[in-house]
Amino acid sequence: MQLTLKDIARMVGVAESTVSRAINNKPGVGEDTKQKILSIAKQFNYRPNQLARGLANKQTNMIALFIAEMKSPSAIEIISSIEKAANQAGYQVILCNINHDLAKEKAYLELLDTNQVDGAIFAGGQLADEHLIKASLSGENKIILLNRLTEELLLPSVITDNSRGTYLATEHLITQGAQRIALLTDENESLIKEEKVSGYQKALEEHAIAYNQNLVIDSQGSREAGYHAFLELINLSDPPDAFLATNDLLTVGLVEAIKMGGYFIPLDFLLVGYGDNLLTSIFDPSLTVVKEPYQELGQKAVDFLTDSLAGKKLAEMIVVLDPVLKIRKSSIKN
Amino acid sequence: MANVTLKNVTKKFGDFVAVDSQNLEIIDKEFLVLVGPSGCGKSTTLRMVAGLEEITEGTIEIGDKVVNDVPPKDRDIAMVFQNYALYPHMNVYDNMAFGLKLRKFPKEEIERRVNDAADILGIQPLLDRKPKQLSGGQRQRVALGRAIVREPKVFLMDEPLSNLDAKLRVQMRTELSKLHDRLQTTVIYVTHDQTEAMTMGDRIVVLRDGVIQQVADPLSLYNEPKNVFVAGFIGSPAMNFLDAKIVQEGDEYYIDGHGTFKIKIPEDKIEKYSVKDYVDKEVIFGVRPEDVVDANITHDFDVTDYNSFVAEVEVVEPMGSEIYLYLAEKDHQMIARVEAESKAQVGDNITLGIDLRKIHIFDAETEEVIF
Repeated sequence: MQLTLKDIARMVGVAESTVSRAINNKPGVGEDTKQKILSIAKQFNYRPNQLARGLANKQTNMIALFIAEMKSPSAIEIISSIEKAANQAGYQVILCNINHDLAKEKAYLELLDTNQVDGAIFAGGQLADEHLIKASLSGENKIILLNRLTEELLLPSVITDNSRGTYLATEHLITQGAQRIALLTDENESLIKEEKVSGYQKALEEHAIAYNQNLVIDSQGSREAGYHAFLELINLSDPPDAFLATNDLLTVGLVEAIKMGGYFIPLDFLLVGYGDNLLTSIFDPSLTVVKEPYQELGQKAVDFLTDSLAGKKLAEMIVVLDPVLKIRKSSIKN
Repeated sequence: MANVTLKNVTKKFGDFVAVDSQNLEIIDKEFLVLVGPSGCGKSTTLRMVAGLEEITEGTIEIGDKVVNDVPPKDRDIAMVFQNYALYPHMNVYDNMAFGLKLRKFPKEEIERRVNDAADILGIQPLLDRKPKQLSGGQRQRVALGRAIVREPKVFLMDEPLSNLDAKLRVQMRTELSKLHDRLQTTVIYVTHDQTEAMTMGDRIVVLRDGVIQQVADPLSLYNEPKNVFVAGFIGSPAMNFLDAKIVQEGDEYYIDGHGTFKIKIPEDKIEKYSVKDYVDKEVIFGVRPEDVVDANITHDFDVTDYNSFVAEVEVVEPMGSEIYLYLAEKDHQMIARVEAESKAQVGDNITLGIDLRKIHIFDAETEEVIF
């Protein structure tokens, strides 16, 4: 049976509060008594009851992670990076899968309103609506946004510079000789999608290549959508010579369609995918991808949250991290 | 028309009443300032107008339409907060255009609005810059620009200058007032800083513990405070308050500082206000530091036995153009703001005159003004 504060108090012959002070390294306990208490605690492998400790401190040591979707490998990367950082900071993570459903998100907010968690990270999804700002302002809840934009810049945010990723990818494809680069976007990403399109447009503009609306396919962002986008693009009178997919599922569907059509990458088409993970790593040839800094994003979001919970004033409200282009075989002309 | 009307608006957090039955009519194109100490309910009031806080009781109307259940984005308002964060990876243009892109405005319209706002704010040359290349004041202008491009009916500003250094704050105060003149839009502005309120507001609402204390233009608020709280909150250094009682001697009435001073109440005030009802009752005597003068310097009123007293100078604080004298007379402490030529020194017992035209007395129990 687990040893309690009461048991140690009885064994040493002191009050429970003295044991608590000794274990929490607070003043007011004589050195001899303190050593006696600590030695018994060690001997019997005493561990404080986290729930009781939480009730006393009005802290749960739990944070909620609201994730926009859990279908893509990127989502898994975000979850694991946040969980790792949160655990290191002494927090456990409750996962709330929003599945792009606003009603579900609002329902999960109950966790914050009823103080079942100390704070929350909202990863991905549509523009942070007024319900999040309300929850933050009037409920005085600690809320951090990760890769989620907001109009009223009142919530601490950690985001990827999405235009930078597509800019780097497009520019790379142009330097490899591509002239008609198709862009596959995910309509669920809303403003983030627009940022990705703007990076693509900027690179085209800098290389005096006209933007061609026919080469931009906005879709559901699924594997099937990637597959169908290729079928649509290949039937154009002037089909693309390169592809840039802006999420990992689109990348997979696109590669499958190209291969199914009997084409070769990079011989027939140059290709840059999105996401550096297990899914995109299994293809031959190896894929050039835009890699988002998920580890750093997760770590920074947790840092923001723990700093906010500790009552620290954040030095900056918004941190933007750059993605990198991992150049492999799929985008290099032989 | 963008009148904003609050009718019996109450906000409760559990049992705590943050805003208590407020009634307020904000006139179209008015610059209205909500001012009060922290926790007085000013930000909560603003957030209820913004739609970021549920209203417990009452109604809020914007332009004759009840907006209690209208989401913030459909209220035709724009907010500027103290925390003027900008997206660091976007240039000024994109930061300002963000909300319009979000609302799917046509590209040409976005360009027109961003350029117009940039002209008004004088930030046209900065449109291509990233936030980190801007000074604090420039960033604050961009944050204002984000609100202006939305061409809202009402601007809601929550302490927008409090993150700026003192010099810039003074400069931006003037700029915001000019901006209001140019935009001709209703502004509701929250601050805890009474100087900001006095210099910017067409009218000022003084709040305390969620209750409106007084709504008036800056001068009326200064000269005719309704109660001790308003009198003490508005003005720096604050008004002097001394415990006293009203005494009658023949046909004359005096403010008697329990033997430490005796000041005759002017006849016009006796007739006009209910002074006679307060005979032998406790009152609070209030006089602003600038209305307490050094009797050795000539003023536009005579210093006599009935409007003067002697006090010891405890501290002399020269401010350049004027001097603050910290005075003590028995148990009473007060501050006088006198001319720079005053020769008063620490330890002197000097005669001070009181401008009877500017004195106030308040009911000691209710703290409401008598005159």
